[in-house]
Amino acid sequence: MKKITIIISVLALTGVSLAVESAKLSVAEIVNKANIAAYYQGKDAKARVHMDIIGDNGSRKVRDFIILRKTIVDGGDQKFYVYFNSPADIRRMVFMVHKHVGEGNQDDRWLYLPSLDLVNRIAAGDKRTSFVGSDYFYEDVSGRDLSEDTHELVGETDKYYIIRNTPKKPDEVEFNYYDLSIDKKTFLPIKIFFYDKSNILYRKIEVLKVAIIQGHPTAIDILVTNLAAKSKTRMVFTGVKYDIGLPDIFTERYLRVAPRKYLR
Amino acid sequence: MKLFNKDIDRRLVEYSVAHHKKITLVMLIATVILACFIPKVQVDTDPENMLSSDEPVRVYHHKMKKEFTIYDLVVLGIVNETNPHGVYNPETLKKVYDLTQFVKTLNWKENGEEVGVVGPEVMAPSEVDHVSNLGMGTISFEWLVKTPPKTQKEADEFKIKAKSNPLLLDTVFSRDDKAVAIYIPLTSKDVGYRVYKQINKYIKEHYSGSQEKFYLSGLPVAEDTFGVEMFLQMVISAPMAMLVVFLLMLAFFRKIILVISPMIVAIISIICTMGLLIAFGYSIHIMTSMIPIFLMPIAVVDSVHILSEFFDRYTPERGRRAVIIEVMHELFVPMLYTSLTSAAGFASLALTPIPPVQIFGLFVAVGIMIAWICTVTFVPAYVMMISEKSLANFGNSTGKISRESPMARSLHWLGRFVFKHAKSVIVASVLISIISVIGITKIHVNDNPVRWFTLRHPIRIADIELNKHFGGTYMSYLVLDQKQDDTDLVSYAQNLSKDFDAQIPKWKEQGYANVDKVASQMKELFLKLSKTAKSKSELLNAVFDEAYERSFNADSGDEVETWDVVGEYFGLKDEALKQFKQPENLRYISKLQKYLLDSGLVGKSNSLSDIVKKIYQELIDGKQSNYRIPDSSRAVAQCLMQYQSGHKPYDLWHFVTNDFRHANIWLQLKSGDNKDMKKVIAVVNEFIKKNPIPNNLELHWAGLTYINVVWQEKMVFGMLQSFMGSFLVVFVMMVLLFRSVGWGLLCMTPLTITILLIYGATGFVGKDYDMPTAVLSSLTLGMAVDFAIHFIQRVRATHVGNSSWRGTNKIMFGEPARAISRNVIVIAVGFLPLLAAGLVPYKTVGIMLCCIMALSGSITLVLLPAMIKVWRSRLFCECKSVRCASCSFIMCSVVSVSMLIIVVLCVEQYIKSGLSELLMIAGATGLVLLIASYLFTRRKRCRDLQELKESDGV
Repeated sequence: MKKITIIISVLALTGVSLAVESAKLSVAEIVNKANIAAYYQGKDAKARVHMDIIGDNGSRKVRDFIILRKTIVDGGDQKFYVYFNSPADIRRMVFMVHKHVGEGNQDDRWLYLPSLDLVNRIAAGDKRTSFVGSDYFYEDVSGRDLSEDTHELVGETDKYYIIRNTPKKPDEVEFNYYDLSIDKKTFLPIKIFFYDKSNILYRKIEVLKVAIIQGHPTAIDILVTNLAAKSKTRMVFTGVKYDIGLPDIFTERYLRVAPRKYLR
Repeated sequence: MKLFNKDIDRRLVEYSVAHHKKITLVMLIATVILACFIPKVQVDTDPENMLSSDEPVRVYHHKMKKEFTIYDLVVLGIVNETNPHGVYNPETLKKVYDLTQFVKTLNWKENGEEVGVVGPEVMAPSEVDHVSNLGMGTISFEWLVKTPPKTQKEADEFKIKAKSNPLLLDTVFSRDDKAVAIYIPLTSKDVGYRVYKQINKYIKEHYSGSQEKFYLSGLPVAEDTFGVEMFLQMVISAPMAMLVVFLLMLAFFRKIILVISPMIVAIISIICTMGLLIAFGYSIHIMTSMIPIFLMPIAVVDSVHILSEFFDRYTPERGRRAVIIEVMHELFVPMLYTSLTSAAGFASLALTPIPPVQIFGLFVAVGIMIAWICTVTFVPAYVMMISEKSLANFGNSTGKISRESPMARSLHWLGRFVFKHAKSVIVASVLISIISVIGITKIHVNDNPVRWFTLRHPIRIADIELNKHFGGTYMSYLVLDQKQDDTDLVSYAQNLSKDFDAQIPKWKEQGYANVDKVASQMKELFLKLSKTAKSKSELLNAVFDEAYERSFNADSGDEVETWDVVGEYFGLKDEALKQFKQPENLRYISKLQKYLLDSGLVGKSNSLSDIVKKIYQELIDGKQSNYRIPDSSRAVAQCLMQYQSGHKPYDLWHFVTNDFRHANIWLQLKSGDNKDMKKVIAVVNEFIKKNPIPNNLELHWAGLTYINVVWQEKMVFGMLQSFMGSFLVVFVMMVLLFRSVGWGLLCMTPLTITILLIYGATGFVGKDYDMPTAVLSSLTLGMAVDFAIHFIQRVRATHVGNSSWRGTNKIMFGEPARAISRNVIVIAVGFLPLLAAGLVPYKTVGIMLCCIMALSGSITLVLLPAMIKVWRSRLFCECKSVRCASCSFIMCSVVSVSMLIIVVLCVEQYIKSGLSELLMIAGATGLVLLIASYLFTRRKRCRDLQELKESDGV
């Protein structure tokens, strides 16, 4: 039975890639497919993440968390639940996002701090702040809304489409534009290079390893480099599972009482 | 004890006279070769290098800088005193914003490495987060300035936000609303001047004539700018001094062609010395940059003596050859000794524990000896190259010029005065010395690189202005370190497992599933790992991680929770080891900060505690009452996790290391004076006395302001030590030269009184005892003894054939006194141009040199004849003759004990501990030496000599 699924999914994949080869895709199509590949695989998903933050002076910090994701509308609204396990003194801390897609729509974000027994809403606004001290941004966790940038195809290699994304509201972000290298076969963004206001590369996100899980090509090893601060963050995903049948645990109630069942 | 063959001087001079062209050529070639090294010069203006690079305080400072990613900071202040809203108006804020953006771009590549401003670490309104509680449990993180306010209303709103953050108040924003500061971190101090220049250029180009004032200050800028201006001073001051010396000599000797010779000697010795210094691979430091200025007077002095004598004796009938040979013969020994003593004075600086001062001392000593060689070979050779014709009308050839000159007349009057009032002169000198000693006790040791600039210098003005508005531009870091934990891991594990066992019933009671199974597995693992783990932290973390791992294979959902709680037990034990997550330690830091602020010595301080308090306040409700440290270490950790969710998560690591074992309190001081830094250290010590430091913590200092204090303390003690050493060396040399303890002591008197007077006056005037002041003591020693040597040598030569002191006195106040006076005037006045320098250390050297020369010259001329008159019967006593010198018990013992003390002073430096042991050994050795001296002077030869003398007497 298992074998069959694998064969089917492999076939499906090659089918997809063949289809791509045959037809010339528009920029919007590429961008949409990339968005789906990166954030919308499966109806829901679960992964265990090990995060390693390496500072300029060689210092290392570790974070361990479990991330749950549920798609409400394909390519549209989603919910995220991030439960921290390590270090021990932030265990049970939870970060939750209700992602609302579309121009003018703001995400809702919450943070639960167990030691203060405090649920805080994080004010809408800047999402390009550090995610728990790493080089990741909050926005990278849930994905940047496609409607916030204009997209153009600036290059194409054997393996990648290169899409340049320019913000519609440049004052809101610290970058001038960013280039996505999208894998032609899987449509996973493999490299994201950010350029600052003087068009100098200052930040990059690279996928170091992709695995096919339940038929979905999934980035399982990602490195973010902050070239300006000379800091790096590596995230390794294990135990990735799609379609686990998550109920609606994305409410304030579950911040205080974690849904244990879904966290292993 | 004969240092030189009697004929050697005559032969040397005759050789120089005969082969004057060869001598000149050799000298020229040597100079040119050494001059070739000069373009390879490397500059080092870092006062930090006053300490050797392996000095513990420096090593620690650099370790801390790396651990906390701290950079040396330049402060750019923007002040608006005219606008009623102060800096909080759209125009000024736009400028602040634009300047910040500009400053961030100031970096470039040097040897493949990026240097300049560390862009991401710039601290400015647009580079910091604004954290606030918006009510209804909503917290907001945003840039304090995303785009500069466009209207006054926006600027007013911005003001409220800006001033709400205690971390920024007094640091970025002034309390009086009139100033805002940008903190500019540099990759290293030596880019300070370039950054300084570029920012100033930008301001000039964009904002000239604007209502704001812009100020740039901070130690890195001061130190690097000093280096640049130092070279300017070297290029301007040294030649200026040379010119004045030249003009003065011309006025005395009137023959330009003759006066050029001392200038050539000075230039050759300066070029050779600097060439050698650079050839040996040393960089030019603030100290070594002064070598030319120190060398010049010393190099000129001997030639002035020669010229002076030559001038007074030359007649066309005798011819230049005979006169120069005579003069050289007479001056050879005093010149050799004056050079040796000056060289010894400077060489003794090698005893100080400060590398640049050591190099300075040694190379000045080398330069002095080069100057001596030049003087004894080149000057006679040079005289020979002048034709007799051009010497017509020179010097005494017309007979009476000098005798009638005002100088000659006043010197004769002085001679008569001293002869008449010898005793009063001595009494007056003693009184002056006593008063001087009182002055010396008032000296305060202090230094501050910013004060090396005069009050009108932009850096000094900026320093004053910025420190008026902000917490301070001088940075100092107080670091609390967790002590090394050296408890045995196995026994620690056994103790902890007992505590762990005690938890088991509690967990069961709370209803966790399969507690026994999970607990026994974890305990077994814990005890097993305790045998191999390297630290408690590693051990606890390993167990914590493994529990998490195993929880994924738990039998049931309920068991997962058991794994979690058991794992957490170990994880939290590890967190408890991290001292700076503990509320009590953070409160201790806050208390210390408050104590420092209340003392008025620290303008502002920032620490981990401030961050935790601010985040806690905003997390809870934003109310002032919640601006406090939360009660548990987990709450602290979670506050910090929140802080790291801002735009600049790395900022946290400036205040604590990521293992939370080291915390850093950033102190801003309004004054960089070492004496003020020392007061801060004293206040911290006072605080610790009242509030004992938690017993697993230790406190250390870092930061440039602190480092300056450390080397200064070394300098003061080191200089004193080296001064004592050189004083004794010179004393021993004098005793040997004159073969008499009495004459030796006499010779040391003028320099002793000069030094007492100079430093006494320094104390009374209130001038800080800083680096240049300290180093000048060696110069004083070398110069002041020179005059005494010349004087005494002439007295002893003259008095042999002249039994009445009145006659000798009269002769002494003729030609010899004139030579000394000319020297005094040439050098004292010659260095007054240094007063025009824009850098304070150069001014200090100028004034002090002038005073030293004037004082030592006049003390020699007034006090020595007076003392000789009073004690002449003892001084001219027969038994002090050459042959029985080694038979004098007093002389033997004085010399040997002095040498012993010199050795002790040298050795002391290399013995870190056991000073009392050293003193005991020295005491014993001293006793042995005394006995040895006694036996030595009672040996047969001496007894024979004694008998011989007695029978002669009969």
